[in-house]
Amino acid sequence: MTGLPGSAGLPGGAERVIGSYLTEVADGLIGPARARRDILAELGAGLADATDAYRSAGLAPGQAVRAAITEFGRPEQVADGFRAELTAAQARRTAVTLLRTGPLVGLLWASAALASRIGARLASPWHWASMPLGARPVTHLAGFALAIAIGSALVTVAATGRLTRWLPAGPGALPARPRWLPAWPAVSAALAASGTAAIDVALLALLATQAASTPGRLAALPVAAAAIASLTRLTLTTRAARNCLTTSAARLSARSG
Amino acid sequence: MRAQALKGHLDGMLLAALEGGPRHGYAVMEALRAGSDGQFDLPTGTIYPALRRLERAGLVLTRWSEDGGRRRRLYELTPAGRRMLDDERNAWREFSTAVTALLGPQPRPVTS
Repeated sequence: MTGLPGSAGLPGGAERVIGSYLTEVADGLIGPARARRDILAELGAGLADATDAYRSAGLAPGQAVRAAITEFGRPEQVADGFRAELTAAQARRTAVTLLRTGPLVGLLWASAALASRIGARLASPWHWASMPLGARPVTHLAGFALAIAIGSALVTVAATGRLTRWLPAGPGALPARPRWLPAWPAVSAALAASGTAAIDVALLALLATQAASTPGRLAALPVAAAAIASLTRLTLTTRAARNCLTTSAARLSARSG
Repeated sequence: MRAQALKGHLDGMLLAALEGGPRHGYAVMEALRAGSDGQFDLPTGTIYPALRRLERAGLVLTRWSEDGGRRRRLYELTPAGRRMLDDERNAWREFSTAVTALLGPQPRPVTS
């Protein structure tokens, strides 16, 4: 393997051994691509440093690299150690993205409603005068989903950041969680993503009923923009929810394979 | 040293290893090993996730440095990290004083 991150100055043989060790570690790392890349680069440099240290202590190059690898631990054990961190990184990224893009999607829908003269006179959507029959419970559901989504996203961001220092964690600090149970930042991020998906489904359903009852009333351009934003977000959030949960459950799939 | 006993204090020991200035992951490991007279024997691979967790908690800062063609991640204490280290130190002092009082001296035979 050439161009191995951080292994400059090592003989080719040692570089190959470290490369195949890192490939095994990489198999067990599931999470955001950038975080995985950083982890592998850091481990590569660490292994190269360890190999140097063993060589200065008098070991032959081949022995030195093997000693370094033994010192780091089995690949699956090393990958497993990063699982909580990767889960937190994935959950945090999902929640931050939802909080950042949420207002924009909301704004698009608000301008679509205004341009179509829906709810223009009254502030809140549940007071819309011209709502088709059956739309009221859907807006209530969307409101509920919005509260859940914002709440879980905020909890996720708080608990995967600075608050970490007050949470009991780290190796051996908590009793082992059953393997089928995802870590809770993964659950709260998945909840935020699912809540957002529910909002999008509700908005698109409302739009469909509106279009069916009074098609001429809708302002084509703003409505299309809002619908496209929601459809895109719906695709991304369902994938994000799944990613959060699979990152957390990575140990299961990595071991069964 | 028993690995379980070590693990509960890993965060504090990592912060202490960074007290003297920025270090990369492997140098932290070497500092722990040298500082504990070789008693510290956790797999080196477990140091890295622990450092990453400290970063997320805002206790250390990281930056990449390039040296001799090797890109290394440097860890540095933040002010919050220094405060946390002080707290850990005080807590450890109290705990070890109490345990020494109980386990340390050979009890004198009770005469009745």
